[in-house]
Amino acid sequence: MAIIDIKNITKVYNSDQIPVHALNGIDLQIEAGEFTAIVGPSGSGKTTLLNILGGLDDPTSGNIDINGVDLFSLNQKQLTDYRLHHIGFVFQSYNLIPVLTARENIEFILQIQGKGADQYKQRSLELLEAVGLVDKADKRPSELSGGQQQRVAVARALASNPDFVLADEPTANLDTASTTNLLDIMASMNRELGVTFIFSTHDQRVVERANRVVTLVDGKIFSDEKH
Amino acid sequence: MSSRAIIILSWKNVWRNPVRSGIVILSVVVATWSGIFMVGFFNGMTVQFVRDQLQNYTSHIQIHDTRYVDENLPEYTIRDADQIINSLKSFDFVTQVTPRTVINGLISSANNNFGVTIEGVQPNLEIQTTAIHSYLIEGEYLKGTLRNPVYIGSDLAQKLSVQLRSRIVLTFQDTQGNITAGAFRVEGIFKTPNKAFNEGNILVRAEDLNRLLGDENAVHEIIIMVDDYVQSENYTQQIQSVLTDSVIVRSWKDVSPMLKYIESSMDISMYLVMVILIIALCFGIINTMLMAVLERTAELGMLRAVGLNKIRSFSMIMLETTFLTMIGSPVGLFLGWIFNAWYGVHGIDLAFFSQGLELYGFNSMIYPELGLSYYLNITILMLLATIFSATFPALKALRLNPVEAIRKQ
Repeated sequence: MAIIDIKNITKVYNSDQIPVHALNGIDLQIEAGEFTAIVGPSGSGKTTLLNILGGLDDPTSGNIDINGVDLFSLNQKQLTDYRLHHIGFVFQSYNLIPVLTARENIEFILQIQGKGADQYKQRSLELLEAVGLVDKADKRPSELSGGQQQRVAVARALASNPDFVLADEPTANLDTASTTNLLDIMASMNRELGVTFIFSTHDQRVVERANRVVTLVDGKIFSDEKH
Repeated sequence: MSSRAIIILSWKNVWRNPVRSGIVILSVVVATWSGIFMVGFFNGMTVQFVRDQLQNYTSHIQIHDTRYVDENLPEYTIRDADQIINSLKSFDFVTQVTPRTVINGLISSANNNFGVTIEGVQPNLEIQTTAIHSYLIEGEYLKGTLRNPVYIGSDLAQKLSVQLRSRIVLTFQDTQGNITAGAFRVEGIFKTPNKAFNEGNILVRAEDLNRLLGDENAVHEIIIMVDDYVQSENYTQQIQSVLTDSVIVRSWKDVSPMLKYIESSMDISMYLVMVILIIALCFGIINTMLMAVLERTAELGMLRAVGLNKIRSFSMIMLETTFLTMIGSPVGLFLGWIFNAWYGVHGIDLAFFSQGLELYGFNSMIYPELGLSYYLNITILMLLATIFSATFPALKALRLNPVEAIRKQ
């Protein structure tokens, strides 16, 4: 069953000057539990699609239904709240809060969701254990390697049990060992917990692990292959 | 729970760059401390000036013959002065009363002559009422060891080239309108902080002056000191209500509009000084917080992306600014209070500027003082400044577009 239904999404930048068509009528359905890689050359619209999918950017036209909710019928406040409870984000540069420890970075999301201390403390430990970083729980991001930081970012993205996780070039800043380790963790979460992951990536190692690869070229779906 | 998370994150963000935050906190401490101390200094100086003026020259309340206020001629004496003085004793708030004979005349020495105000006083009562006797620097205060003693200011003595026991002549109009003169001898020389008073006023015994005036019971002025000079206007009305219309009772504010103006403008001046300091401080805080927001653009964008709403983003920056200010303010307030308390007892000696200060009637020893209400009001001012300083950076954070912000790595 499709949890995400993308209908004829277009995105045009500078529409009143020299228009740049970032997305040209994207139609895509994502099933629950998919491990999807969105690939394509630079400027093909991967990040734009992820931003629109995450409710961070508005499409010029088209709709996105997530579990029956029309994403763009929500106002800004509702959209922010929707992201908090339903979407996990992993960024290329990890984007952890530097003044908080690994554990606090995860707990912060749960705290602003209004979860109680007993809930967020237990959940953060479970997630750190899942990404193999329980022993680094009290370390700040500056004390962690890039791979470890990205694993904390994955744990943070999963903190709220989101409907799906959007990961924008998550391995772009990682070495091979860290990439393999991170992909192992994500694949295991996908397989064992049924977490839906949607990546934008250039990384062939991610593509090889994905069970679906959507290729964008010039803002259009060039191919959509399921492995 | 979410509010607690925002508060904790804000607090930790304050210490993200300890040097920068430390400098801002230090500037808040210095601005608050220096502001409090400066305001305390000027307040102490002004209050002291007003008190000195009241204690030495103006007194709290004065009674005159109604006509004397318009034209201070010798014949406009207060009728039944003794009876009035007795009736004043029935008021609980009256602490001291003394009558005076006050006329304008000419003082002449062998070398020079000047116009002066001649105050005929009853030394025993005057000592209990005013403080002019305490400024004696040479000789004695109207003890009467010499015949017709006169107590004159050091500046006038210098201009007349007279010293102790020198003979001077006072010329003035008596109560009948005739010109009369009397020889007096300098028995004491005073030096008050007010140069104008030292040059323009002399004190003699009322009995000596009245003899020359031709009216042994002449009283032109009744000086009253009360328990609280701030209440003088209220007390004045109470006294006037029991006296006849032939006399007029005036509080020091009516007698000396300049003192009234100084007192009333003191608050405005002090808050103006504080506001200017706080405005300068605000720009420092705004600059620091703007830097803090701009260098965390990506992080703030990420927070918005993962679900931190606008109110929480705004609150976080507001709180960070509040923490910066609220750490520094109490320390500054405390330091200011300590300085005011210590110097309030020991004083600040501005002897180096004494000549200039005396010219305007200020004492060269300043005792800073500041009421508790000022500390409260300054705290409120600091809070307002915090809100003002925090708003612009917080709005900047609010306007961040998460997509663009995350891109600025």
